Amino acid sequence: MSPTGRVVIVGVSTHWGSELARTLARDPGVTEIVGIDTAPPKVDLGETEFVEADIRNPVISRILPGLKPDVVVHCGIVLYPDEERPSRALHDINVIGTLQLLAACEKVDGLRALVVRGSAAIYGSAPGAPAFFTEDMARRLPLVTRFQRDVGELEGYFDNFARRHPQITCCMLRFQTEVGPGLDNPFIRYLTLPVVPTQLGFDPRLQLLHSIDATGALAAATVNPVRGPVNVAPDGAISLSRLLRLSGRMTVGMPPIVAKTLFRRIGSMLGSGGMSEDGLFLLRYGRGCDNRRLREEVGYELAFDSEGTARDFAAKRHGMSVLFPSPHPGSPVRSLGR
Amino acid sequence: MSNQGRPDGSGLELEWVETVQETMERVMRRVAGEYHEDEYGFDEEFAEAVFPIWEFLYKRWWRVQVEGVSNVPGHGRALLVANHSGTIFPFDAVMMGTAIQKEHPLPRWTRALVLNWAFDLPFVSYFMRRIGGVSSTPANLGRLLGQDEPVMVFPEGAKGFGKPFAERYRVQRFGRGGFVEVALETGSPIVPVAVVGAEEIYPKLGESGVLARLSGAPYVPITPLFPMLGPLGLLPLPSRWRIEFLEPIDLSGYGPGASEDRSLVFDLSEQIREMVQEALYRGLVKRGSAFL
Repeated sequence: MSPTGRVVIVGVSTHWGSELARTLARDPGVTEIVGIDTAPPKVDLGETEFVEADIRNPVISRILPGLKPDVVVHCGIVLYPDEERPSRALHDINVIGTLQLLAACEKVDGLRALVVRGSAAIYGSAPGAPAFFTEDMARRLPLVTRFQRDVGELEGYFDNFARRHPQITCCMLRFQTEVGPGLDNPFIRYLTLPVVPTQLGFDPRLQLLHSIDATGALAAATVNPVRGPVNVAPDGAISLSRLLRLSGRMTVGMPPIVAKTLFRRIGSMLGSGGMSEDGLFLLRYGRGCDNRRLREEVGYELAFDSEGTARDFAAKRHGMSVLFPSPHPGSPVRSLGR
Repeated sequence: MSNQGRPDGSGLELEWVETVQETMERVMRRVAGEYHEDEYGFDEEFAEAVFPIWEFLYKRWWRVQVEGVSNVPGHGRALLVANHSGTIFPFDAVMMGTAIQKEHPLPRWTRALVLNWAFDLPFVSYFMRRIGGVSSTPANLGRLLGQDEPVMVFPEGAKGFGKPFAERYRVQRFGRGGFVEVALETGSPIVPVAVVGAEEIYPKLGESGVLARLSGAPYVPITPLFPMLGPLGLLPLPSRWRIEFLEPIDLSGYGPGASEDRSLVFDLSEQIREMVQEALYRGLVKRGSAFL
């Protein structure tokens, strides 16, 4: 295997971009790392060079070729809104941003690989879905939510780009729901609510990807990219009820009629933005992805299976009791107090 | 642990206490989430817990007779293809599984492909999954067979499950033969199965279009007891059953790529359909009266 060379990480200030930069910094095959984002990274990334640029702006087409990357990693697809990225900007960042980035990549001479950190949400969640989606099953179910359509659209642009540039290894990583200590996202906030609402009569099968594996798989795919989509999912699956029991949560079942409105309300309260609809379906029907390509072709060995992630998550959050929840940063209880 | 058996007979009491204690421990363990479920959501402990209900139905309620259960391979992959009926609940699948658990020299749990809309119904969705049901997609069937599991499929699907009483024991069209394709791909032997008796448990006299639209179910059947008697109408009638497992069909002789040969797939599918139909007629004669 040839050394990886110069890596440009787009969206380096996101959690995943920063984690990837840190991991790659330890890789001897990576000679240089350059990070691009709209704001500087929140953590110290050592020798990683930082370039402030917005991928939604065509200027990126002039900046990127100058950096002479061997590998471009796109971590700038965001799932959840935050203070700097309101909900209505997500479509722009995800779709238009990717489109501009692909246009910029066309101008880069000697680009060997393009790795995109996408989402398994493209598969959707449905009652008749296969227990484990393989990579060829995208769009088998209609894309029903706004986020799904966004992912579908950007995967379409990505496929086009890959077809037009056979000399570039284009790798689309489809990530399952991520959970881990030190991580904060609406799904984790949901799991750590003092009383967790569930949809009465439904117990979805979930796959929880440990944050260690999420970073590890992204780094592995950067060093050893393969063509086409790759599911990033752990082995096995765990039902929501068992996950909540393992972490000692109290639950309350909501009848389906109420659940629809309520889950949307809870979703926006926890900051899931455009993802709350995906959450509603995910927490009703669940989703499983086959990870054979990741294990055998990318060659990444997962540290945790679904159950292991759940146990680790439960152990690290053990201090939180039902009666006296100690809110973690970003929890709705904390934001109420402000 | 054995009891300390005192002469005054309090040993019996102690045993009772221990049973309660064990049950409590098991309940506490489950509440803490300390149990196993496999990657499809099958929960063996749960399946064992509801098994006595199936046993009662099997032995006392439907007095099931079984023939040829040893035709089901004792280990490795196997595809069980049966006629479908039941109208309200797929008891035919449950009884096939119970027959293998109770009568087979090497008993094991059998998975089933379940009609997809079952997974859209509250409670039914997770009940089905816990006792070993998966949604009916070729991907699930292929994966389970690849893991050397025995799997039941009902290629008639909803057409067989919800057919009117007047059409009982007439095997409907076998879909597109997807199960044959997967069997060819995975080299799984096919065991045709004929289930007699499940047609009489909920004789479907008609359908209620209004209730179906209201509830979102694909159809709502009208049986002599349902929905007239409400939930009580869900009590299945005590017909007599007879399940016949036929000789397995070995598909390993067909070369690679055989699954893409449409005419071969349709031929095999039709052949199996006819075998099941013939076995049904035979079984009906052998069973005799439906209820007594």
